[in-house]
Amino acid sequence: MNILFAIATGIMFGLGVYQLLRRDLIKASFGFYILFTAINLFLLAAGAFEGTVPAYVDAQNEVISGGTPSDPLVQALILTAIVISFGTYALLLSFIVLASRRFKTVDSDEIDDLIG
Amino acid sequence: MINPLLLGTIFVPLLCAAFGLLIGRFRTLQHLLIFGGGVVAWVCSVLLLIANFESGVQIYRVGGWEPPFGIVLVADKLSSVFAVMATTVVAAGLLYALGCKDKCVTYPAFMPLFLCMGVGLNGALYTGDIFTLFVFIELMVISSVFLVAISDNRLGLEAAIKYLFISAMGTLFLLIAIGSIYATFGTLTIADIAQKLATGERPLLAEAAAVMLMCAFLLKSAVFPFHFWQPDFHTTAPTPVHSVLSSVVVKVGIYGLIRMITVMFTQEAATIENILVILGVIGIFFGSLGALRTYDAKRMLAYSTFGQIGFILVAIGWGTPAALVGALVYAVNHSFIKSALLMLTGVVSSRTYGKTATKREIGGVGKGMVLTSILYLLGGMALAGIPPLNGFISKVALVQGGIDAQGWLALGLAVAAGLITLQYMIGTWSLLFQQAPDEGVKAKPTGDAQYAPALLIGLCVLFGIYAAPLVEVVTRTVTDLGDPSLYIRAVLGG
Repeated sequence: MNILFAIATGIMFGLGVYQLLRRDLIKASFGFYILFTAINLFLLAAGAFEGTVPAYVDAQNEVISGGTPSDPLVQALILTAIVISFGTYALLLSFIVLASRRFKTVDSDEIDDLIG
Repeated sequence: MINPLLLGTIFVPLLCAAFGLLIGRFRTLQHLLIFGGGVVAWVCSVLLLIANFESGVQIYRVGGWEPPFGIVLVADKLSSVFAVMATTVVAAGLLYALGCKDKCVTYPAFMPLFLCMGVGLNGALYTGDIFTLFVFIELMVISSVFLVAISDNRLGLEAAIKYLFISAMGTLFLLIAIGSIYATFGTLTIADIAQKLATGERPLLAEAAAVMLMCAFLLKSAVFPFHFWQPDFHTTAPTPVHSVLSSVVVKVGIYGLIRMITVMFTQEAATIENILVILGVIGIFFGSLGALRTYDAKRMLAYSTFGQIGFILVAIGWGTPAALVGALVYAVNHSFIKSALLMLTGVVSSRTYGKTATKREIGGVGKGMVLTSILYLLGGMALAGIPPLNGFISKVALVQGGIDAQGWLALGLAVAAGLITLQYMIGTWSLLFQQAPDEGVKAKPTGDAQYAPALLIGLCVLFGIYAAPLVEVVTRTVTDLGDPSLYIRAVLGG
């Protein structure tokens, strides 16, 4: 399982960095999202133990459904990271829409009013 | 000490911002409410600093969960000093926004976003948990990106896109550091991490986490290899936002670095400090020379921030207590001077018809603005370090730190670069206020209100003439930083 996580995270990092460096801003924003997904996988892999059941306990702090529960903290971290990256991604796409209207292009080389 | 005042610096302004969005239609009411939120945060942070000197480190356990399992807010002396500085500048920025004539200030979302940026700043300074640090830094980044994108300057959109991509890199570094630390130590509370690092063991990912954290903080402070976004992003921001971005928002990275080398990675501190000295000297020269050659009065101050951050980094890098005192005094004084200067430039540029600060269009516009001219000259002298202003005190503290640490080479370079500051400040002052305007350049009769920069320059003069309290507070802060167990014991108990 760990090997699988490592390979998946590595591939997604590679894809994300390649995509982020594209000149087309929309493609670059895809890279942005792929990178965040890669990070989320990495956070999941950082969890203390791999569980087979949800991390619910009853009033006596007994695991409800038997078996090893998964690490709930990394899941909370990933949820927060997803919300934040999703918001940032939506913001970025809306900026790209505005820029494409103003400049009539999404090529980052041609959006170059800021120089010096 | 459990102290609920910590909520006043974070949750009260957040509530004000949320409520402010609801009453966006009533602009005056909304602006006053948001300004009130900023003032509440300022009062709370000052009270927290005082409480720190009376009864030690103040903490608050959010939701009542014990650290290291729950989220904890910690106000030790270092956070409190930075937070007082930050809330003062944010409150002054809000005051400036009340009297600002930019079109973007009239948008219903402007003031709530501004306050959210301040909340993100306070939260990042007060949190005792690295994941919450990430959340607050993101809050700060996203609100500031919004504010720059809606700026009157039409280049703001482009700068916002640029910065969003770059800040994504910073977020990436920070999240990798968080993941590595969690995989290694199984905890996210700074005090707990520090306790586990203090044992001297360095599992595989611990040092990788240190590198990643450092990259994230350097990116937030716009230090040399990660600096290129800063002039664009800061210059295109609306004036009140620019005055906060260029003075206190860049200090979050400085705070993080000090926290790293004094509490968490104390054994790696020497290595980190050597890197910081080199990056700082590069920053001093790059920033000062960039400021000398730029075409825009606001952009000049953004470049000058590089240089000033460089001075602070060099002082942190020397690493002795005296040098750290110099770094902190420098950081506090620079915030007040820089935000006041930016506001004054904004006052002048608000009188040009293009609302720009390019030297071609702004030259001579300030002629006849006596008060602004005097304030700007005082600010410029403070930035260059001329007595009796607070910039002189920070330069003296810095030089004392350098002599104490025997960092002769870096000290010589820093003092030499200080002279460049004088040249660009005086040059811009005479351009703005002395020179006759160019052919065809006309000024509007009125500009932005200047209560906020007058207040900040007043603080600069006050801290210049009567510097003893500031130096005393900072010296005791540094004494406490020498013993990281104070912080750890206060958070974890026992």
